[in-house]
Amino acid sequence: MTEIKNAHFTTLKGAYDTEKMEATLRVRRYDPETKKSRFDNFTVTIPVTASVLDALDAIKDTHDGTLSYRKSCRMAVCGSCGMRVDGGAALACKTPMKKFVDAGHTITVSPMGNLPVIKDLVVDMAPFWQKIRAVKPYLDTRDADVPEKEWRVDPAAGDQIHKESLCILCGCCVSECNSMESDPDFLGPAALAKAYRFVGDARDKDTRERLRDLNGAHGIWDCTRCYFCNQRCPKHVDPRDAIAKLGAESFKEGFTRDEGAKHAKVFVDSTFKGGYLRETELVPKTIGPVNAIKDIPFALQLARAGKVPNPLSPHKAKDNDEVKRLWKLLEKEAKGQPRRATATHPDAVLGD
Amino acid sequence: MRLRYIAFRREGMNNGGKFPHRDACHVLAGIRHRTYSAYTRGIAVHCFRRLFMIRHDVIVLGAGLAGMRAAIEAKRAGVDVAIVSKLHPTRSHSGAAEGGINAALGNATEDSPATHAFDTVKGSDYLGDQDAIEVFAEEAPNDIYELEHMGAVFTRSADGKLAQRPFGAAGAPRTIYSADITGHVLIHVLYEQLIKHEIKVYEEFFATQVVVDGGQCAGVIAWDTQRGGLHAIQANHVILATGGVGRMYYGTTNAFACTGDGMSLAWNAGVPLKDMEFLQFHPTTLKSNGVLITEGCRGEGGYLRNKDGDRFMVGDAPNAMELASRDVVSRAEWKEIADGRGVDGCVMLDLTHLGWKKLQSRLPGSRELAMDYAGVDPIEQPIPVRPGAHYMMGGVDCDVWGETIVPGLWAAGEVACVSIHGANRLGGNSLMETVVFGRRAGQAAAERVKEQGDTGARIEASVLADEDRRIAAIVGNSEGERPGVLREELAKTMYDKAGVYRTEEALAECKDKVVELRERAKTLKIDDHGSIFNTDLTSAIELNSLLECADCLVTSALARKESRGAHSRLDFTERDDDHWLKHTLNWNDNGEVRLDYKPVTITKHQPLARSY
Repeated sequence: MTEIKNAHFTTLKGAYDTEKMEATLRVRRYDPETKKSRFDNFTVTIPVTASVLDALDAIKDTHDGTLSYRKSCRMAVCGSCGMRVDGGAALACKTPMKKFVDAGHTITVSPMGNLPVIKDLVVDMAPFWQKIRAVKPYLDTRDADVPEKEWRVDPAAGDQIHKESLCILCGCCVSECNSMESDPDFLGPAALAKAYRFVGDARDKDTRERLRDLNGAHGIWDCTRCYFCNQRCPKHVDPRDAIAKLGAESFKEGFTRDEGAKHAKVFVDSTFKGGYLRETELVPKTIGPVNAIKDIPFALQLARAGKVPNPLSPHKAKDNDEVKRLWKLLEKEAKGQPRRATATHPDAVLGD
Repeated sequence: MRLRYIAFRREGMNNGGKFPHRDACHVLAGIRHRTYSAYTRGIAVHCFRRLFMIRHDVIVLGAGLAGMRAAIEAKRAGVDVAIVSKLHPTRSHSGAAEGGINAALGNATEDSPATHAFDTVKGSDYLGDQDAIEVFAEEAPNDIYELEHMGAVFTRSADGKLAQRPFGAAGAPRTIYSADITGHVLIHVLYEQLIKHEIKVYEEFFATQVVVDGGQCAGVIAWDTQRGGLHAIQANHVILATGGVGRMYYGTTNAFACTGDGMSLAWNAGVPLKDMEFLQFHPTTLKSNGVLITEGCRGEGGYLRNKDGDRFMVGDAPNAMELASRDVVSRAEWKEIADGRGVDGCVMLDLTHLGWKKLQSRLPGSRELAMDYAGVDPIEQPIPVRPGAHYMMGGVDCDVWGETIVPGLWAAGEVACVSIHGANRLGGNSLMETVVFGRRAGQAAAERVKEQGDTGARIEASVLADEDRRIAAIVGNSEGERPGVLREELAKTMYDKAGVYRTEEALAECKDKVVELRERAKTLKIDDHGSIFNTDLTSAIELNSLLECADCLVTSALARKESRGAHSRLDFTERDDDHWLKHTLNWNDNGEVRLDYKPVTITKHQPLARSY
């Protein structure tokens, strides 16, 4: 045997040295067998770099093996460990414990909202996946003339769907979606962001059909624009922005008949004409004159409560010219934007 | 949309928290209970009462890139295929791959499959089977084009083609990528194809046994994690695509789910594991939790520095520097740290000179990971990194179509050892391997189904009942130690004694410890005696898989008295082609590891000294 040089090389000294801290967590438990829920408090010793997920692991390994939660990658890419930390959805693995410990705060960990709970922090994701499936989540090039090599796509066109393709389908946005709370059938931010990923894809040929479908009931116009999805998304997908982009694309394709679309259009037209919103026009132009007449009793009720502005006063802002100048500026900028890009065959040369 | 929408409403999306209806395709045998209320009984009782029999032509175990690719191919060929996976497909760890996927497209500079093959052979330290590597390099470009046509959002160059970046030990910029989230993009594009092809997925089904009947593969037995209950899923063909086994190490880039389940299933079904001593250490992982910082960082021009700020790679790879092969870089780092030239057990990955713009456009994910898990912004500060267990080059012994010695049992991806990576894998080759060999396994299994029809192999009711008793015994036990405690002990043992550098002494100690742990793991303390989402049960089974794989690894490493690729012995520092240019095989001999060897296939490239 040759002489062993540097035998100390086999082990890395100090490989496990970490500063530790003590953390307390309040965890919501749900037992599917007794169908009862409760809160449990646990105190664990964890490294200062630990995440909420590490803290849960410490509980499971040293305190209570019955605690159930999903986990896998622990690096914010698999989307397993979505749960509510202090009432707001987050990835447990992406939420560091240190700031809570330093503040002396006991965090409350509970399952995500808008989805049925199976056990402890585990929710049934089946409704979530069904909605993803409902938006036809795959590229449709209509199989026409598929090139032998790759499609040529302008790098800038790829950037248009960059944010939406970051989505890890963790469900944090859905958990916090206000609209879904009142209408569980609403497609929701995750599925709609996924839909935009294809609507915005230069290679996809199904745009018009996709947009027509998304303009239906429980579609893009049911979003209440609360922006909670943008706020809670751990991957900066900004689903609400994707929904706005779907709205803009729908208008370009002429899908303007949905009440939501009409509602948005009144906002735009009204501010253009008068500088601010003419609320008296809003209702009839959104839901149509017949329905508006039906709603007169309600309007009177509102008027009695002083909630209706004088319908006869000329609704026009003082410096309306300035508003119009702003509009022109925006329009000019929009013209500078590239139109929706399309993929080309490999033999074609991209435009200059 | 209206139609689609009605379809999904009919599936009962708002079932008020009740369990979804089971699919009509489930064929029953034995007693089946459809009431889900009687959960108050002991598990031994109702677990036995809820046994299911299902049948498909082909079952794919695992839903990472290899598994999904195999299933798509089999489905296209027109056979009845289903996926059984312990995770939802997009949760698979393929999604964590960052840097890219290698194919000789020649978009950046001149390149050819032959050069790709040579780089791979040299990278493997000549232990890779060259026939398999040729197939791999040759078929890679078409698979990339197909992924692109499926919808993968790859980064483009100015001319609209797929961009290619340089990667370690590659002769040309060959790595196709999507910023630094390539795996994520690919896993989602294949999941989209699963939906398109309407492939049945048994999500969160934990496979506990691969059943062999009369020498033929008969199917798998799997535990339904969400609802409880053991399922015998009959299939003449089972494709293992369960991924790696990094969790046996303390410092690892692998997900919690990477526990070598497929290797253990195959090993217990009588298939040998090959080259298990070759486990790749990735040079740049974070100390806090092992998270990977992509090789793309070095591909884009990052430096590795020691505590004095010197680029220490100059000593070990004066030409390739930071872009030498991963085993070379890992050893250099380990040496720096062990010799006291590290910083707090790490070396420094310096990206500060790349500038904000490049970091933000090419490596945004790595920047975020460094900020989240190491607390440093790489624009301003270097990232502390160290080597961590990353990829199992070894695995289930199979041929170029993925078939093992048990007819009907196939393997693809990290769980398999074809072997194209030999003693060391090149960055970007593993994603490509999953796609090429996943497709091949799916194609071959489907063809076999069409040729052979039903082989007659069946999972007998008694086998299912036995397995049920085994699972019930694990769940019913509340004596002993918790699985998590033993797992950590194993992980530290492996990281300390079977790490980047190995010696006879350390490996022998490691072997003793693993044997001891296997004994202690026979009775585990399980707190959770329920059947719904019992992660205590699954982690106990996972621990057993880890221990079996660890035993194979350490036994083979102890026997291999040479240094080759990722296997680096301080007491045998040279590569010894005369005695050791051969694959190690680990057979299961009543639970003990029995070693055996088989020759390496060499076609064009005779072994040469390997330097970068």
